[in-house]
Amino acid sequence: MRRLPKEVGSWIYNFFYNEHSIAYLQIDAQLCVAAKGGNVKHYGLSSLRIGQPVTDQLEFMEGLLPCPELPYHMAMVELPSGRVADLHLFADNACVWLLFLDATAERDNRQRLQQKAYEMTLLQERERQLNEKLQAMNEALRESQEGLQREYHRAETLLLNILPASIAERLKSDEQIADNHAEVSVLFADIVGFTERARSVGAVMTLAILNYFFKAADRLSDQYGCEKIKTIGDCVMVVAGLPAARSDHAEALAHYALELRNAVQHERFAGERLRLRIGIHSGPIVAGVIGKKRFAYDLWGETVNLAARIQTSAEPDEIRISDTTRKLLGPDFACDPLAETELRGTGRVQMWRLPA
Amino acid sequence: MLQKKICMLGGFGVGKTSLVRRFVQSIFSETYLTTVGVKIDKKSVAFQDKTVDLILWDLAGEDDIGSFRVSHVRGATGLVLVVDGTRAATLAAALTLRERVEAEFGTMPFVLLFNKSDLVDRWAISDGEINGLRQLGWQIYLTSALSGEHVDDAFRQLASMVTK
Ligand SMILES: Nc1nc2c(ncn2[C@@H]2O[C@H](COP(=O)(O)OP(=O)(O)OP(=O)(O)O)[C@@H](O)[C@H]2O)c(=O)[nH]1
Ligand SMILES: [Mg+2]
Repeated sequence: MRRLPKEVGSWIYNFFYNEHSIAYLQIDAQLCVAAKGGNVKHYGLSSLRIGQPVTDQLEFMEGLLPCPELPYHMAMVELPSGRVADLHLFADNACVWLLFLDATAERDNRQRLQQKAYEMTLLQERERQLNEKLQAMNEALRESQEGLQREYHRAETLLLNILPASIAERLKSDEQIADNHAEVSVLFADIVGFTERARSVGAVMTLAILNYFFKAADRLSDQYGCEKIKTIGDCVMVVAGLPAARSDHAEALAHYALELRNAVQHERFAGERLRLRIGIHSGPIVAGVIGKKRFAYDLWGETVNLAARIQTSAEPDEIRISDTTRKLLGPDFACDPLAETELRGTGRVQMWRLPA
Repeated sequence: MLQKKICMLGGFGVGKTSLVRRFVQSIFSETYLTTVGVKIDKKSVAFQDKTVDLILWDLAGEDDIGSFRVSHVRGATGLVLVVDGTRAATLAAALTLRERVEAEFGTMPFVLLFNKSDLVDRWAISDGEINGLRQLGWQIYLTSALSGEHVDDAFRQLASMVTK
Protein backbone atom coordinates (compact mmCIF):
# COMPACT_ATOMS: atom_id res chain seq x y z
CA MET A 1 0.00 0.00 0.00
CA ARG A 2 1.37 3.36 -0.96
CA ARG A 3 1.76 5.61 2.04
CA LEU A 4 -0.18 8.84 1.89
CA PRO A 5 1.21 12.16 3.04
CA LYS A 6 0.32 12.87 6.66
CA GLU A 7 -1.95 15.76 5.67
CA VAL A 8 -3.99 13.69 3.25
CA GLY A 9 -4.23 10.85 5.69
CA SER A 10 -5.47 13.08 8.42
CA TRP A 11 -7.92 14.85 6.11
CA ILE A 12 -9.36 11.54 5.08
CA TYR A 13 -9.53 10.46 8.70
CA ASN A 14 -11.40 13.60 9.73
CA PHE A 15 -13.69 13.43 6.75
CA PHE A 16 -14.55 9.80 7.39
CA TYR A 17 -14.91 10.30 11.11
CA ASN A 18 -17.34 13.19 10.72
CA GLU A 19 -19.23 11.62 7.86
CA HIS A 20 -19.68 8.27 9.59
CA SER A 21 -19.73 9.19 13.27
CA ILE A 22 -17.40 6.41 14.21
CA ALA A 23 -17.78 4.63 17.56
CA TYR A 24 -16.08 1.51 18.83
CA LEU A 25 -16.35 -1.09 21.54
CA GLN A 26 -13.64 -3.39 22.70
CA ILE A 27 -14.91 -6.75 23.83
CA ASP A 28 -12.77 -9.06 25.90
CA ALA A 29 -12.50 -12.82 25.92
CA GLN A 30 -15.26 -13.07 28.54
CA LEU A 31 -17.51 -11.23 26.07
CA CYS A 32 -17.71 -8.21 28.33
CA VAL A 33 -17.30 -4.61 27.26
CA ALA A 34 -13.67 -3.75 27.92
CA ALA A 35 -13.63 -0.26 26.46
CA LYS A 36 -15.75 2.13 24.44
CA GLY A 37 -14.99 5.30 22.53
CA GLY A 38 -15.64 7.59 19.61
CA ASN A 39 -19.12 8.99 19.08
CA VAL A 40 -20.89 6.52 21.40
CA LYS A 41 -23.66 9.00 22.11
CA HIS A 42 -24.63 9.01 18.45
CA TYR A 43 -25.56 5.33 18.69
CA GLY A 44 -27.14 5.54 22.13
CA LEU A 45 -24.25 3.60 23.66
CA SER A 46 -23.37 6.10 26.40
CA SER A 47 -24.85 4.02 29.18
CA LEU A 48 -22.90 0.88 28.28
CA ARG A 49 -21.16 -0.39 31.38
CA ILE A 50 -17.57 -1.48 31.17
CA GLY A 51 -16.93 -4.96 32.48
CA GLN A 52 -20.49 -6.15 31.88
CA PRO A 53 -21.51 -8.81 29.32
CA VAL A 54 -22.09 -7.26 25.93
CA THR A 55 -25.13 -9.33 24.92
CA ASP A 56 -27.00 -8.29 28.08
CA GLN A 57 -26.54 -4.67 27.08
CA LEU A 58 -26.73 -4.90 23.31
CA GLU A 59 -29.43 -7.32 22.30
CA PHE A 60 -28.43 -7.31 18.67
CA MET A 61 -25.12 -8.91 19.67
CA GLU A 62 -27.00 -12.04 20.77
CA GLY A 63 -25.46 -15.10 19.15
CA LEU A 64 -22.75 -13.18 17.29
CA LEU A 65 -19.88 -13.85 19.65
CA PRO A 66 -17.62 -15.64 19.69
CA CYS A 67 -17.43 -15.23 15.95
CA PRO A 68 -15.38 -17.88 14.14
CA GLU A 69 -15.12 -15.77 11.06
CA LEU A 70 -13.34 -12.49 11.68
CA PRO A 71 -13.27 -9.83 10.37
CA TYR A 72 -17.06 -9.81 9.99
CA HIS A 73 -19.28 -7.17 8.43
CA MET A 74 -22.99 -6.51 8.73
CA ALA A 75 -24.40 -3.73 6.57
CA MET A 76 -27.08 -1.26 7.56
CA VAL A 77 -28.29 -2.46 10.89
CA GLU A 78 -30.95 -0.18 12.34
CA LEU A 79 -30.22 0.11 16.04
CA PRO A 80 -32.84 0.65 18.74
CA SER A 81 -31.74 4.31 18.81
CA GLY A 82 -32.98 4.65 15.24
CA ARG A 83 -29.49 5.14 13.85
CA VAL A 84 -28.39 2.88 11.06
CA ALA A 85 -24.87 1.51 11.31
CA ASP A 86 -22.51 -0.66 9.34
CA LEU A 87 -21.03 -3.00 11.92
CA HIS A 88 -17.49 -4.25 11.62
CA LEU A 89 -16.02 -6.90 13.90
CA PHE A 90 -12.35 -7.64 13.86
CA ALA A 91 -9.96 -9.50 16.12
CA ASP A 92 -7.01 -8.19 18.08
CA ASN A 93 -5.23 -10.78 20.20
CA ALA A 94 -7.77 -11.93 22.79
CA CYS A 95 -10.09 -9.02 22.12
CA VAL A 96 -12.68 -8.24 19.50
CA TRP A 97 -13.31 -4.74 18.27
CA LEU A 98 -16.79 -3.73 17.26
CA LEU A 99 -16.94 -0.71 15.00
CA PHE A 100 -20.00 1.42 14.31
CA LEU A 101 -20.08 3.40 11.06
CA ASP A 102 -23.15 5.51 10.45
CA ALA A 103 -25.03 4.48 7.29
CA THR A 104 -28.33 6.26 7.87
CA ALA A 105 -28.05 8.51 4.83
CA GLU A 106 -26.96 5.68 2.60
CA ARG A 107 -29.76 3.48 3.88
CA ASP A 108 -32.36 6.18 3.30
CA ASN A 109 -31.04 6.63 -0.22
CA ARG A 110 -31.16 2.95 -0.99
CA GLN A 111 -34.57 2.81 0.64
CA ARG A 112 -35.98 5.38 -1.77
CA LEU A 113 -34.64 3.51 -4.79
CA GLN A 114 -35.70 0.09 -3.55
CA GLN A 115 -39.16 1.39 -2.66
CA LYS A 116 -39.69 2.56 -6.25
CA ALA A 117 -38.36 -0.66 -7.71
CA TYR A 118 -40.43 -2.97 -5.49
CA GLU A 119 -43.58 -0.95 -5.88
CA MET A 120 -43.19 -1.16 -9.64
CA THR A 121 -42.61 -4.89 -9.50
CA LEU A 122 -45.59 -5.42 -7.22
CA LEU A 123 -47.75 -3.34 -9.52
CA GLN A 124 -46.66 -5.36 -12.52
CA GLU A 125 -47.29 -8.62 -10.68
CA ARG A 126 -50.72 -7.40 -9.67
CA GLU A 127 -51.47 -6.34 -13.22
CA ARG A 128 -50.47 -9.75 -14.50
CA GLN A 129 -52.66 -11.44 -11.89
CA LEU A 130 -55.61 -9.28 -12.80
CA ASN A 131 -55.06 -9.95 -16.48
CA GLU A 132 -54.98 -13.68 -15.85
CA LYS A 133 -58.15 -13.40 -13.81
CA LEU A 134 -59.78 -11.34 -16.55
CA GLN A 135 -58.77 -13.89 -19.13
CA ALA A 136 -60.15 -16.74 -17.04
CA MET A 137 -63.36 -14.80 -16.59
CA ASN A 138 -63.61 -14.10 -20.30
CA GLU A 139 -63.05 -17.75 -20.99
CA ALA A 140 -65.76 -18.74 -18.51
CA LEU A 141 -68.08 -16.14 -19.98
CA ARG A 142 -67.47 -17.43 -23.49
CA GLU A 143 -68.13 -20.97 -22.34
CA SER A 144 -71.32 -20.09 -20.57
CA GLN A 145 -72.40 -18.08 -23.59
CA GLU A 146 -71.82 -21.09 -25.78
CA GLY A 147 -73.67 -23.21 -23.27
CA LEU A 148 -76.52 -20.75 -23.34
CA GLN A 149 -76.51 -20.77 -27.11
CA ARG A 150 -76.66 -24.57 -27.09
CA GLU A 151 -79.48 -24.48 -24.55
CA TYR A 152 -81.29 -21.96 -26.65
CA HIS A 153 -80.93 -24.08 -29.76
CA ARG A 154 -82.13 -27.10 -27.86
CA ALA A 155 -85.11 -25.22 -26.53
CA GLU A 156 -85.83 -23.99 -30.02
CA THR A 157 -85.74 -27.45 -31.54
CA LEU A 158 -87.94 -28.68 -28.72
CA LEU A 159 -90.33 -25.84 -29.35
CA LEU A 160 -90.38 -26.64 -33.03
CA ASN A 161 -91.08 -30.25 -32.18
CA ILE A 162 -94.20 -29.44 -30.24
CA LEU A 163 -95.34 -26.29 -32.05
CA PRO A 164 -95.74 -25.34 -35.68
CA ALA A 165 -92.81 -23.17 -36.79
CA SER A 166 -94.83 -20.00 -37.33
CA ILE A 167 -96.39 -20.34 -33.89
CA ALA A 168 -93.01 -20.91 -32.30
CA GLU A 169 -91.77 -17.69 -33.90
CA ARG A 170 -94.68 -15.73 -32.53
CA LEU A 171 -94.21 -17.30 -29.14
CA LYS A 172 -90.57 -16.24 -29.07
CA SER A 173 -91.64 -12.69 -29.83
CA ASP A 174 -93.95 -12.85 -26.80
CA GLU A 175 -97.21 -12.56 -28.68
CA GLN A 176 -100.42 -13.80 -27.11
CA ILE A 177 -101.65 -16.63 -29.23
CA ALA A 178 -105.25 -17.61 -29.72
CA ASP A 179 -106.47 -17.70 -33.28
CA ASN A 180 -109.74 -18.47 -34.93
CA HIS A 181 -109.48 -20.70 -37.92
CA ALA A 182 -112.68 -20.97 -39.91
CA GLU A 183 -111.66 -23.85 -42.16
CA VAL A 184 -109.64 -26.74 -40.90
CA SER A 185 -109.85 -30.52 -40.75
CA VAL A 186 -109.06 -32.42 -37.58
CA LEU A 187 -108.00 -36.06 -37.39
CA PHE A 188 -107.76 -38.45 -34.47
CA ALA A 189 -106.20 -41.88 -34.72
CA ASP A 190 -105.58 -44.53 -32.08
CA ILE A 191 -104.52 -48.12 -31.80
CA VAL A 192 -107.15 -50.83 -31.64
CA GLY A 193 -107.12 -52.73 -28.35
CA PHE A 194 -104.15 -50.76 -27.08
CA THR A 195 -104.68 -51.16 -23.34
CA GLU A 196 -105.09 -54.94 -23.31
CA ARG A 197 -102.25 -55.54 -25.74
CA ALA A 198 -99.94 -53.19 -23.90
CA ARG A 199 -100.60 -55.17 -20.75
CA SER A 200 -99.80 -58.45 -22.46
CA VAL A 201 -96.51 -57.41 -24.13
CA GLY A 202 -95.05 -55.19 -21.42
CA ALA A 203 -93.73 -51.65 -21.34
CA VAL A 204 -90.68 -51.97 -23.57
CA MET A 205 -92.51 -53.50 -26.48
CA THR A 206 -95.39 -51.06 -26.06
CA LEU A 207 -93.10 -48.09 -26.14
CA ALA A 208 -91.47 -49.41 -29.30
CA ILE A 209 -94.87 -49.69 -30.98
CA LEU A 210 -95.94 -46.23 -29.85
CA ASN A 211 -92.67 -44.83 -31.03
CA TYR A 212 -93.14 -46.36 -34.44
CA PHE A 213 -96.70 -45.08 -34.69
CA PHE A 214 -95.92 -41.54 -33.58
CA LYS A 215 -92.85 -41.30 -35.77
CA ALA A 216 -94.94 -42.30 -38.78
CA ALA A 217 -97.51 -39.67 -37.77
CA ASP A 218 -94.75 -37.03 -37.60
CA ARG A 219 -93.14 -38.02 -40.86
CA LEU A 220 -96.43 -37.92 -42.73
CA SER A 221 -97.31 -34.53 -41.19
CA ASP A 222 -94.23 -33.12 -42.85
CA GLN A 223 -95.04 -34.87 -46.07
CA TYR A 224 -98.64 -33.66 -46.35
CA GLY A 225 -98.25 -30.24 -44.75
CA CYS A 226 -100.34 -31.13 -41.72
CA GLU A 227 -99.57 -30.40 -38.07
CA LYS A 228 -99.43 -33.04 -35.41
CA ILE A 229 -100.91 -31.21 -32.46
CA LYS A 230 -100.41 -33.71 -29.69
CA THR A 231 -100.57 -37.30 -28.56
CA ILE A 232 -102.88 -38.45 -25.82
CA GLY A 233 -101.90 -41.93 -24.67
CA ASP A 234 -101.98 -44.00 -27.84
CA CYS A 235 -103.96 -41.39 -29.75
CA VAL A 236 -102.62 -38.74 -32.13
CA MET A 237 -104.36 -35.51 -33.06
CA VAL A 238 -103.49 -34.00 -36.41
CA VAL A 239 -104.85 -30.91 -38.13
CA ALA A 240 -104.71 -29.56 -41.67
CA GLY A 241 -105.30 -25.91 -42.60
CA LEU A 242 -103.23 -24.61 -39.76
CA PRO A 243 -101.46 -22.32 -39.00
CA ALA A 244 -101.63 -21.17 -42.64
CA ALA A 245 -105.07 -21.62 -44.15
CA ARG A 246 -105.40 -23.91 -47.18
CA SER A 247 -108.50 -24.72 -49.22
CA ASP A 248 -107.59 -28.40 -49.64
CA HIS A 249 -107.30 -29.14 -45.94
CA ALA A 250 -109.81 -31.97 -46.07
CA GLU A 251 -108.06 -33.65 -48.98
CA ALA A 252 -104.66 -33.27 -47.42
CA LEU A 253 -105.85 -34.90 -44.24
CA ALA A 254 -107.64 -37.70 -46.16
CA HIS A 255 -104.37 -38.51 -47.92
CA TYR A 256 -102.64 -38.36 -44.61
CA ALA A 257 -105.11 -40.80 -43.05
CA LEU A 258 -104.71 -43.29 -45.86
CA GLU A 259 -100.94 -43.18 -45.64
CA LEU A 260 -100.98 -43.49 -41.90
CA ARG A 261 -103.09 -46.61 -42.14
CA ASN A 262 -100.72 -48.00 -44.78
CA ALA A 263 -97.68 -47.15 -42.72
CA VAL A 264 -98.71 -49.38 -39.82
CA GLN A 265 -100.38 -52.23 -41.57
CA HIS A 266 -97.30 -54.45 -41.64
CA GLU A 267 -96.46 -53.92 -37.98
CA ARG A 268 -97.50 -56.49 -35.43
CA PHE A 269 -98.60 -55.78 -31.90
CA ALA A 270 -99.09 -58.63 -29.40
CA GLY A 271 -99.26 -61.24 -32.13
CA GLU A 272 -101.81 -59.41 -34.25
CA ARG A 273 -101.71 -56.83 -36.99
CA LEU A 274 -101.33 -53.28 -35.69
CA ARG A 275 -104.63 -51.61 -36.56
CA LEU A 276 -105.91 -48.07 -36.17
CA ARG A 277 -109.21 -46.33 -35.80
CA ILE A 278 -109.19 -43.00 -37.59
CA GLY A 279 -111.77 -40.21 -37.56
CA ILE A 280 -111.89 -36.87 -39.38
CA HIS A 281 -114.15 -33.86 -39.16
CA SER A 282 -113.90 -30.38 -40.62
CA GLY A 283 -114.96 -26.95 -39.41
CA PRO A 284 -113.95 -23.89 -37.47
CA ILE A 285 -111.69 -24.16 -34.41
CA VAL A 286 -109.76 -21.96 -32.02
CA ALA A 287 -106.05 -22.62 -31.81
CA GLY A 288 -103.71 -21.25 -29.19
CA VAL A 289 -100.94 -21.71 -26.76
CA ILE A 290 -101.61 -22.28 -23.11
CA GLY A 291 -99.25 -22.44 -20.22
CA LYS A 292 -96.57 -20.01 -19.15
CA LYS A 293 -93.69 -22.32 -18.38
CA ARG A 294 -94.50 -25.33 -20.48
CA PHE A 295 -96.04 -24.49 -23.80
CA ALA A 296 -98.75 -26.57 -25.31
CA TYR A 297 -100.30 -25.68 -28.58
CA ASP A 298 -103.82 -26.96 -28.70
CA LEU A 299 -107.11 -26.74 -30.52
CA TRP A 300 -110.56 -26.17 -29.09
CA GLY A 301 -114.08 -26.14 -30.36
CA GLU A 302 -117.02 -28.34 -31.38
CA THR A 303 -115.17 -29.44 -34.52
CA VAL A 304 -112.49 -30.98 -32.34
CA ASN A 305 -114.97 -32.72 -30.06
CA LEU A 306 -116.91 -34.19 -32.96
CA ALA A 307 -113.75 -35.37 -34.72
CA ALA A 308 -112.81 -37.22 -31.55
CA ARG A 309 -116.25 -38.85 -31.29
CA ILE A 310 -116.20 -39.90 -34.90
CA GLN A 311 -112.84 -41.51 -34.36
CA THR A 312 -114.09 -43.48 -31.35
CA SER A 313 -116.99 -44.79 -33.33
CA ALA A 314 -114.78 -46.00 -36.19
CA GLU A 315 -114.20 -49.73 -36.78
CA PRO A 316 -110.69 -51.22 -36.75
CA ASP A 317 -108.81 -50.22 -39.94
CA GLU A 318 -111.58 -47.76 -40.80
CA ILE A 319 -111.10 -44.08 -41.67
CA ARG A 320 -114.42 -42.54 -40.74
CA ILE A 321 -115.21 -39.02 -41.87
CA SER A 322 -118.05 -36.60 -41.21
CA ASP A 323 -120.49 -35.45 -43.85
CA THR A 324 -118.90 -31.99 -43.78
CA THR A 325 -115.50 -33.42 -44.58
CA ARG A 326 -116.85 -35.60 -47.35
CA LYS A 327 -118.44 -32.61 -49.06
CA LEU A 328 -115.06 -30.91 -49.09
CA LEU A 329 -113.35 -33.84 -50.75
CA GLY A 330 -113.15 -33.86 -54.50
CA PRO A 331 -114.42 -36.62 -56.80
CA ASP A 332 -111.15 -38.52 -56.26
CA PHE A 333 -112.57 -39.87 -53.08
CA ALA A 334 -115.57 -42.15 -53.59
CA CYS A 335 -116.71 -42.60 -50.04
CA ASP A 336 -119.00 -45.33 -48.72
CA PRO A 337 -121.96 -44.04 -46.76
CA LEU A 338 -122.49 -45.47 -43.30
CA ALA A 339 -125.79 -45.84 -41.53
CA GLU A 340 -126.73 -42.75 -39.55
CA THR A 341 -125.35 -43.28 -36.08
CA GLU A 342 -126.11 -41.80 -32.70
CA LEU A 343 -122.98 -40.06 -31.29
CA ARG A 344 -122.82 -39.16 -27.64
CA GLY A 345 -123.67 -35.51 -27.02
CA THR A 346 -124.37 -34.82 -30.68
CA GLY A 347 -127.30 -36.87 -31.84
CA ARG A 348 -127.68 -38.79 -35.07
CA VAL A 349 -124.95 -38.12 -37.56
CA GLN A 350 -124.36 -39.02 -41.18
CA MET A 351 -120.83 -40.42 -41.59
CA TRP A 352 -118.76 -41.89 -44.37
CA ARG A 353 -115.99 -44.37 -44.82
CA LEU A 354 -112.92 -43.41 -46.81
CA PRO A 355 -112.07 -46.29 -49.14
CA ALA A 356 -108.57 -47.58 -49.57
CA MET B 1 -31.37 -13.98 30.85
CA LEU B 2 -32.81 -16.12 28.10
CA GLN B 3 -32.69 -14.40 24.75
CA LYS B 4 -32.81 -15.82 21.25
CA LYS B 5 -32.09 -14.30 17.89
CA ILE B 6 -34.80 -14.93 15.32
CA CYS B 7 -34.65 -13.90 11.65
CA MET B 8 -37.60 -12.95 9.46
CA LEU B 9 -36.98 -14.35 5.99
CA GLY B 10 -39.03 -14.02 2.82
CA GLY B 11 -39.40 -12.24 -0.49
CA PHE B 12 -40.02 -8.50 -0.58
CA GLY B 13 -43.41 -7.15 0.40
CA VAL B 14 -44.63 -10.41 1.93
CA GLY B 15 -45.26 -8.74 5.29
CA LYS B 16 -42.21 -9.46 7.43
CA THR B 17 -42.09 -5.95 8.86
CA SER B 18 -45.86 -5.88 9.31
CA LEU B 19 -45.83 -9.19 11.20
CA VAL B 20 -43.13 -7.95 13.58
CA ARG B 21 -45.05 -4.72 14.17
CA ARG B 22 -48.25 -6.64 14.78
CA PHE B 23 -46.51 -9.01 17.19
CA VAL B 24 -44.45 -6.42 19.05
CA GLN B 25 -46.61 -3.31 18.95
CA SER B 26 -50.06 -4.63 17.95
CA ILE B 27 -50.32 -2.16 15.08
CA PHE B 28 -50.71 -2.48 11.33
CA SER B 29 -50.31 -0.06 8.45
CA GLU B 30 -51.50 -0.41 4.88
CA THR B 31 -48.59 1.69 3.69
CA TYR B 32 -45.68 -0.25 2.28
CA LEU B 33 -42.29 0.93 3.49
CA THR B 34 -39.66 -1.47 2.25
CA THR B 35 -36.88 -2.53 4.61
CA VAL B 36 -33.27 -1.95 3.68
CA GLY B 37 -30.65 -3.78 5.70
CA VAL B 38 -32.17 -4.93 8.95
CA LYS B 39 -34.23 -3.62 11.82
CA ILE B 40 -34.06 -5.18 15.24
CA ASP B 41 -36.93 -5.52 17.69
CA LYS B 42 -37.48 -7.36 20.91
CA LYS B 43 -40.45 -9.08 22.48
CA SER B 44 -40.75 -11.30 25.52
CA VAL B 45 -42.72 -14.48 25.33
CA ALA B 46 -43.76 -15.98 28.65
CA PHE B 47 -44.28 -19.67 29.22
CA GLN B 48 -45.30 -21.35 32.45
CA ASP B 49 -41.75 -22.26 33.38
CA LYS B 50 -39.71 -19.61 31.57
CA THR B 51 -39.68 -16.33 29.73
CA VAL B 52 -37.71 -15.84 26.56
CA ASP B 53 -36.79 -12.58 24.89
CA LEU B 54 -37.04 -12.91 21.15
CA ILE B 55 -34.60 -10.62 19.36
CA LEU B 56 -36.33 -10.23 16.02
CA TRP B 57 -34.20 -9.41 12.99
CA ASP B 58 -36.46 -8.03 10.32
CA LEU B 59 -34.39 -8.48 7.19
CA ALA B 60 -34.82 -6.86 3.82
CA GLY B 61 -36.64 -9.11 1.39
CA GLU B 62 -34.61 -9.15 -1.76
CA ASP B 63 -36.11 -8.95 -5.20
CA ASP B 64 -33.25 -11.00 -6.51
CA ILE B 65 -32.72 -13.82 -4.00
CA GLY B 66 -29.19 -14.34 -5.34
CA SER B 67 -28.14 -11.02 -3.90
CA PHE B 68 -29.33 -11.91 -0.40
CA ARG B 69 -26.59 -11.45 2.14
CA VAL B 70 -26.72 -14.15 4.77
CA SER B 71 -24.29 -12.38 7.11
CA HIS B 72 -27.13 -10.88 9.13
CA VAL B 73 -28.37 -14.33 10.07
CA ARG B 74 -25.27 -15.34 12.03
CA GLY B 75 -26.19 -16.23 15.58
CA ALA B 76 -29.86 -16.88 14.81
CA THR B 77 -31.51 -19.84 16.52
CA GLY B 78 -34.76 -19.81 14.59
CA LEU B 79 -36.36 -18.56 11.39
CA VAL B 80 -39.75 -17.13 10.52
CA LEU B 81 -40.25 -17.89 6.83
CA VAL B 82 -42.87 -15.60 5.38
CA VAL B 83 -44.87 -16.19 2.20
CA ASP B 84 -47.37 -13.81 0.66
CA GLY B 85 -50.44 -15.99 0.14
CA THR B 86 -51.56 -13.81 -2.75
CA ARG B 87 -48.28 -14.27 -4.66
CA ALA B 88 -47.53 -17.90 -5.34
CA ALA B 89 -43.91 -17.26 -6.35
CA THR B 90 -43.02 -16.03 -2.85
CA LEU B 91 -43.24 -19.60 -1.53
CA ALA B 92 -40.28 -20.68 -3.66
CA ALA B 93 -38.44 -17.53 -2.58
CA ALA B 94 -38.88 -18.32 1.13
CA LEU B 95 -37.77 -21.92 0.68
CA THR B 96 -34.70 -20.88 -1.30
CA LEU B 97 -33.74 -18.40 1.40
CA ARG B 98 -34.02 -21.11 4.02
CA GLU B 99 -31.72 -23.37 1.98
CA ARG B 100 -29.13 -20.63 1.64
CA VAL B 101 -29.19 -19.91 5.35
CA GLU B 102 -28.96 -23.57 6.33
CA ALA B 103 -26.10 -24.14 3.90
CA GLU B 104 -24.22 -21.40 5.74
CA PHE B 105 -25.25 -21.91 9.37
CA GLY B 106 -26.76 -25.40 9.56
CA THR B 107 -30.35 -26.40 10.17
CA MET B 108 -32.42 -24.52 12.70
CA PRO B 109 -36.06 -24.51 13.79
CA PHE B 110 -38.47 -22.49 11.68
CA VAL B 111 -42.13 -21.70 11.25
CA LEU B 112 -43.64 -21.10 7.82
CA LEU B 113 -46.20 -18.33 7.59
CA PHE B 114 -48.63 -17.88 4.73
CA ASN B 115 -49.42 -14.24 5.34
CA LYS B 116 -52.23 -11.91 4.19
CA SER B 117 -54.87 -14.56 4.90
CA ASP B 118 -57.42 -11.74 5.04
CA LEU B 119 -57.12 -11.30 1.27
CA VAL B 120 -59.32 -14.29 0.57
CA ASP B 121 -60.32 -13.49 -2.99
CA ARG B 122 -56.74 -12.93 -4.06
CA TRP B 123 -55.43 -16.09 -2.38
CA ALA B 124 -53.11 -17.93 -4.72
CA ILE B 125 -51.93 -20.99 -2.77
CA SER B 126 -53.93 -24.20 -2.85
CA ASP B 127 -54.91 -26.07 0.31
CA GLY B 128 -53.34 -29.13 -1.26
CA GLU B 129 -49.97 -27.46 -1.42
CA ILE B 130 -50.16 -26.27 2.17
CA ASN B 131 -51.25 -29.70 3.40
CA GLY B 132 -48.41 -31.28 1.46
CA LEU B 133 -45.94 -29.13 3.39
CA ARG B 134 -47.67 -29.90 6.68
CA GLN B 135 -47.11 -33.58 5.92
CA LEU B 136 -43.39 -32.86 6.12
CA GLY B 137 -43.97 -32.07 9.78
CA TRP B 138 -43.51 -28.35 9.25
CA GLN B 139 -45.14 -25.82 11.53
CA ILE B 140 -47.34 -23.81 9.20
CA TYR B 141 -49.60 -20.85 9.98
CA LEU B 142 -52.01 -18.83 7.90
CA THR B 143 -51.49 -15.38 9.31
CA SER B 144 -52.76 -11.88 8.79
CA ALA B 145 -50.74 -8.97 10.02
CA LEU B 146 -53.83 -6.90 9.24
CA SER B 147 -56.23 -8.76 11.54
CA GLY B 148 -53.58 -10.33 13.76
CA GLU B 149 -54.90 -13.80 13.09
CA HIS B 150 -52.46 -16.55 14.18
CA VAL B 151 -49.56 -14.08 14.43
CA ASP B 152 -48.99 -14.63 18.17
CA ASP B 153 -49.50 -18.37 17.75
CA ALA B 154 -46.76 -18.56 15.17
CA PHE B 155 -44.20 -16.58 17.18
CA ARG B 156 -45.04 -18.46 20.38
CA GLN B 157 -44.62 -21.76 18.58
CA LEU B 158 -41.18 -20.74 17.33
CA ALA B 159 -40.25 -19.41 20.79
CA SER B 160 -41.07 -22.78 22.30
CA MET B 161 -39.15 -24.58 19.55
CA VAL B 162 -35.97 -22.54 20.05
CA THR B 163 -36.02 -22.93 23.84
CA LYS B 164 -36.56 -26.65 23.86
N1 LIG C 1 -54.07 -7.21 3.65
C1 LIG C 1 -52.87 -7.45 4.24
N2 LIG C 1 -51.84 -6.71 3.88
C2 LIG C 1 -50.64 -6.97 4.48
C3 LIG C 1 -50.50 -7.98 5.43
N3 LIG C 1 -49.21 -8.00 5.83
C4 LIG C 1 -48.59 -7.01 5.15
N4 LIG C 1 -49.46 -6.38 4.34
C5 LIG C 1 -49.16 -5.26 3.43
O1 LIG C 1 -48.17 -5.69 2.51
C6 LIG C 1 -47.25 -4.66 2.23
C7 LIG C 1 -45.84 -5.12 2.55
O2 LIG C 1 -45.72 -5.34 3.93
P1 LIG C 1 -44.30 -5.29 4.68
O3 LIG C 1 -44.55 -5.73 6.06
O4 LIG C 1 -43.65 -3.98 4.48
O5 LIG C 1 -43.52 -6.40 3.87
P2 LIG C 1 -41.99 -6.83 4.03
O6 LIG C 1 -41.97 -8.30 3.88
O7 LIG C 1 -41.44 -6.27 5.28
O8 LIG C 1 -41.36 -6.15 2.76
P3 LIG C 1 -39.79 -5.81 2.53
O9 LIG C 1 -39.31 -5.11 3.75
O10 LIG C 1 -39.79 -4.94 1.31
O11 LIG C 1 -39.12 -7.10 2.30
C8 LIG C 1 -47.68 -3.46 3.06
O12 LIG C 1 -48.45 -2.60 2.25
C9 LIG C 1 -48.56 -4.07 4.13
O13 LIG C 1 -49.58 -3.18 4.55
C10 LIG C 1 -51.66 -8.76 5.77
O14 LIG C 1 -51.64 -9.68 6.58
N5 LIG C 1 -52.82 -8.46 5.13
MG1 LIG D 1 -39.84 -5.08 5.67
